[in-house]
Amino acid sequence: MVNDIKVEVCVCTECVMRGAMDLVESVESLKKLKRYLGFEGNINVETNKCLGNKKDGHHSLVAAINGKIMENADSETVMEKVISMIKKDVK
Amino acid sequence: MRGIYTPVTNIRRQVFAEVARLAYEGGEYARVEEIPFRIIPGEVPTYRDSIFLERAIVGERIRLAIGLPLYPADQPTHISKGVEESAIAEKVYEPPLINVIPFACNACKEKSVEVTDNCRGCLAHPCTSVCPVKAISIQNGRSVIDNEKCIRCGRCVDICPYHAIVKFDRPCAAACGVDAIESDHLGRAKINYDKCVSCGMCLVNCPFGAIADKSQLFQLIHAIKNGEDVIAEIAPAFVGQFGPLATPEKVKAALKLLGFSKVVEVAIGADLGAIEEAHHYIHKIASGEEPFLATSCCPAWSVMAKRDFPEVAPYVSDSLTPMVATARIIKNENPDSKVVFIGPCAAKKLEASRKSVRSDVDFVITFEELMGMFVAKGIEFGDIETNEVFDDATAAGRGYSVAGGVADAIANCVDELYPDSDIKIDRAEGLRECAKMLRIAKAGKRDGYLMEGMACPGGCVGGAGTMMSFAKASTAVKEFQNASEDKIATKSKYANKED
Repeated sequence: MVNDIKVEVCVCTECVMRGAMDLVESVESLKKLKRYLGFEGNINVETNKCLGNKKDGHHSLVAAINGKIMENADSETVMEKVISMIKKDVK
Repeated sequence: MRGIYTPVTNIRRQVFAEVARLAYEGGEYARVEEIPFRIIPGEVPTYRDSIFLERAIVGERIRLAIGLPLYPADQPTHISKGVEESAIAEKVYEPPLINVIPFACNACKEKSVEVTDNCRGCLAHPCTSVCPVKAISIQNGRSVIDNEKCIRCGRCVDICPYHAIVKFDRPCAAACGVDAIESDHLGRAKINYDKCVSCGMCLVNCPFGAIADKSQLFQLIHAIKNGEDVIAEIAPAFVGQFGPLATPEKVKAALKLLGFSKVVEVAIGADLGAIEEAHHYIHKIASGEEPFLATSCCPAWSVMAKRDFPEVAPYVSDSLTPMVATARIIKNENPDSKVVFIGPCAAKKLEASRKSVRSDVDFVITFEELMGMFVAKGIEFGDIETNEVFDDATAAGRGYSVAGGVADAIANCVDELYPDSDIKIDRAEGLRECAKMLRIAKAGKRDGYLMEGMACPGGCVGGAGTMMSFAKASTAVKEFQNASEDKIATKSKYANKED
């Protein structure tokens, strides 16, 4: 059973300033690695109006992988997390 | 590093947001001294050797964002010096626009070719065979380059089977198309302002974040707070810059929430310029009276063309740039207003400070700086509901923001207005490529041509003050063009008003 991975990225004003669109691009770039990793599921990237509940900016950028919230997210941690989930799945 | 969010981007944007917040809150401006502590919290350095250095650099960035000069590193002073006096509703600007923060500069080596540890000291060592100046010798089993002899042609770099030889250049100097980056007495980058055209490519390409331009957002916010009639003219590259929720209509609504009384497309002026240049092309260039026509909309390109190629200078179009043409229309209808150009461009800040333009355009800010204002004001695009529409300009005018779009707009006008005539086009993006095109023109090989020059790779969507990769931005602009009812500049509703 292959599980799809859903990555949500918050695109509130603060999160866009802190690179939300660049994070979206990074996660989308992982689709190109699917064959290399032997992963047959889908990586879905969605943008969300507001994932966090605070607007003070201390938690931006906010993302969620399969519903699990990640605060102060950046490209490297989110990509690593997605890939580690894929690897578990492939085994 | 466009389209990749790095710590450099992070700090730059936080500075804009904090300076905007400071201006909105008003009050005692001595508390500007607190901002570096908010941006660089704690006691442990994150980016450099010392947290004190990190904060000092942020301090310099704050000064530039307020429009103030850098403070001398060798004299006692405060970040807040001059801030109170700068809290006015008029532009504060003293050249230079683009500044190297000397103690943020890594003093990278100047251009060189180097052998790395990948060298295996192979038997073939083709590097020596291809070197035209005999600069490479084999010492202790590996290649060594004599930098006195080396002419940096790069042949050894290309031929090495282990990719062991690299051509090294300072990122700022590599990004500079007019070779304006020199060194100071400590080997740090220093801008030669006789050569610099303020395109801003060095500041977005420095991996140490050591270069920054001056901003006008502090004074702009004071003008709005003063209750003045402030009108925004927004460059067509804005589409998509503020995230997926920020549709063009919502950006317009958000600007009004910030206090702008009207929001006008700069593409109006682009439409008018395209029509004028189409006529000019047919009457002067196609007729053979003048050798060629160079576009004028990109200020960094036109300044370079006029200054470095005096033979070409008379043939750089004298049509008003879209920024100025649109500003004049606005001022004509609203004589007491203040006009703010919002765009992707650093060089426009300089253009707007020219004597002939000063009364037309009061402020210039970039998309990145505007984003700081949106964040400071807590504007959420997701919460905005609006009936605003954008219907000022044609698809052609909006296309000015992408490389090739200016020439296309003019060519389509020629087709429409003079169906029996043809137009020859050459174009270049990036100042180095632009200079190459001009050398070819100078040699008489572009007679009869329209030449489009764009200082930033990709066109305006690749400008220094943008928020996203130019590939995505170009797609967004394309959609905005498609949304325009009229496709050709001649259909502009402002075209007939001019006659």
